[in-house]
Amino acid sequence: MMELFAAVFSAVFFVTVIRTTTPLLLATLGGLVADLSGALNVALEGQMLVGCLTAVIVSVYMPWYIAVLAGLGVGALLGLLMAFFALKLKADIILVGFAINILASSGTVFALTLATGGDKGTSINLPSKGIPAVDLSFLGAIPGIGPTLVAFLSGHSVLSWVAAFLVFAVWYFLYRTPWGLWLRGVGEYPAATEAAGIPVNKVRTWSLVVSGALAGLGGAQLAMFNYIGFTRDMTAGRGFIALGAVLLGARHPVGALLAALLFGVFEGLSIIMPGLFNWIPSEWIHMIPFVVTILALILFSVRAQRALALRGAK
Amino acid sequence: MSSITGTALARKDRFTALRREVGRALVALVIALGVTFVIVMFTSKAPMEAFSNLLVAPLGKPRTIGLWIDDAAKLTVTGLAFSLVFQARQFSMGVQGQVYVGGLAATYVVMSPLGQTPFGLVLGILAAMIAGGFYGFLPGLAKAKLGANEIVSSLMLNYIAIDLCNYLVRRQLAEPGMTMTEAFPKQSVFPALIANTRIDLGLILAILAVCGVWFALYRTSWGLKLRLVGHNARFAEYAGIKATFIMVSAMTASGALGGLLGAMFVQGQSFGKLTVLFEGGLAFEGILVAIVARARPLAVPFVALAYGYLRQGAQLMNIRTDVPSEVIGIVTAIIILLVASQFSLPGATFWAKILGQRTQTVPASQPLENSQK
Repeated sequence: MMELFAAVFSAVFFVTVIRTTTPLLLATLGGLVADLSGALNVALEGQMLVGCLTAVIVSVYMPWYIAVLAGLGVGALLGLLMAFFALKLKADIILVGFAINILASSGTVFALTLATGGDKGTSINLPSKGIPAVDLSFLGAIPGIGPTLVAFLSGHSVLSWVAAFLVFAVWYFLYRTPWGLWLRGVGEYPAATEAAGIPVNKVRTWSLVVSGALAGLGGAQLAMFNYIGFTRDMTAGRGFIALGAVLLGARHPVGALLAALLFGVFEGLSIIMPGLFNWIPSEWIHMIPFVVTILALILFSVRAQRALALRGAK
Repeated sequence: MSSITGTALARKDRFTALRREVGRALVALVIALGVTFVIVMFTSKAPMEAFSNLLVAPLGKPRTIGLWIDDAAKLTVTGLAFSLVFQARQFSMGVQGQVYVGGLAATYVVMSPLGQTPFGLVLGILAAMIAGGFYGFLPGLAKAKLGANEIVSSLMLNYIAIDLCNYLVRRQLAEPGMTMTEAFPKQSVFPALIANTRIDLGLILAILAVCGVWFALYRTSWGLKLRLVGHNARFAEYAGIKATFIMVSAMTASGALGGLLGAMFVQGQSFGKLTVLFEGGLAFEGILVAIVARARPLAVPFVALAYGYLRQGAQLMNIRTDVPSEVIGIVTAIIILLVASQFSLPGATFWAKILGQRTQTVPASQPLENSQK
């Protein structure tokens, strides 16, 4: 047990948690934007997965930042596709989302076979690149706290810093700009916003595009930093966990950050635990994020219901 | 108006609706296959061979026909499970998890001394259905009592069930180092209906399930309430229907079907034992079956037959040519997108005029709209 505590309260674990949190946080922010506009994006999982593969394949031929942008762009395109079918052709958005998940799950394997010339399910033969880590070792020059700062702040992915900034950016957009007000209004009560002359479908389309782009960005981080390369279904439910994290974070950007951190911590634990406790079966450790998601969802729902009861809303 | 003309009118109306739905599904299928053909054309070295394998290979041998029918029976059951929850407008996606816990429960019963007795077969099925029902009940309860989103919770339960199955097979049920159990006792394996094929008792169970779900939905008050809740939960609530009870019971019943599918997998001719990851992604394809069938139980087996055929064709194409079977996922996704949406072909009115029909404004058909039947 002591080893676990020692491991958890180390700077190395902190860096691990930031790494595991980043893709989740990006997807959660994506889910949040779509959810607040009243369009539930269940395709986060598929958008992330396609983002992973696109980033990996593009990174073979292009610099890393182009690959990251490609992952982002393809996620946005899938968001647009979703908006087209759900808003223009009036299909049920949840069904559209699952169709995109199916398309992503088999489409990535299919595309990978083409890109590698026959390899099924892994890009091990593709020389793909990674996202560079931000080196802040110059902070070590600060007397006293310098080395600690370096241990905690240095070595994170560029996208981790971007994600942290995006939490603020999404918050600012949602609560400090007129468009954010539009978006929340559309999600809250579309009829009223429609009457006020706000183009409901346009707002929702944009939020789905942004949502897909953020999920694709999360995919790029997953396949170019957390792991280098693509394996079949490598998102492993992260998109769905992000969906839970949106609800758990009380549909607020800061809440989303905290929820993503919570899941990141448990994923980090599942990374370090096999080395510490080899008697725990790997399947149990693998289950941790999923069990935590369900428990968190239930606990949050209990709290939300209680808050509703307190407000006297029956 | 006399009741006779009323019935006749309703029948005619129903027939038009049926024709429209079948037409839409076929058009979607043709478009999806067209897109797939283009993809195969550009990626395969022998596109024609690949495509002909996809389209005719399942009929090639009695064995492949058996594989097709077996797949169709399984797709029917998962399609029914999704139809039940879709009719109640619940998006519980937990069939995959229910299949795994159902398979596990059946395995425990069948590998116990009970499995050696003549009752092993039935007890295995019952255990699977109870376990699956319980697993479907959990997200229902969490939603009804706490308002926990059923999509997320049921998906998480899927992942947990897969890990649970992996763990139990590895640690308890199989010999060390193996990923499958020993073969089940003969008494507990579904007898084959046609020798040397995979067509077994599962087919009969699937047909029974279709009849059962149809009866429950359209001939019982529970089914009426369920469909009302699906149409308009608030209205149903005002009409004195306990929407939460209907919700939970629909998810539980759907879970029992998922469990049944688990038993059909492990006790069927295809396996006759429990292996890790035995379900192979089939459970989720019930979404497509349910959507194309518009969640109507009597349409489910036909859609399952058609889709099962394509699925089998894709796997044969995978074995015999350079096109991977995953291409079927693209077909699936396009069909779901098209069937769930109000797509209209360019020039649809033109064709209608040519064929001498009145141009009619097609009513906005909601994705899971269900008329009388």
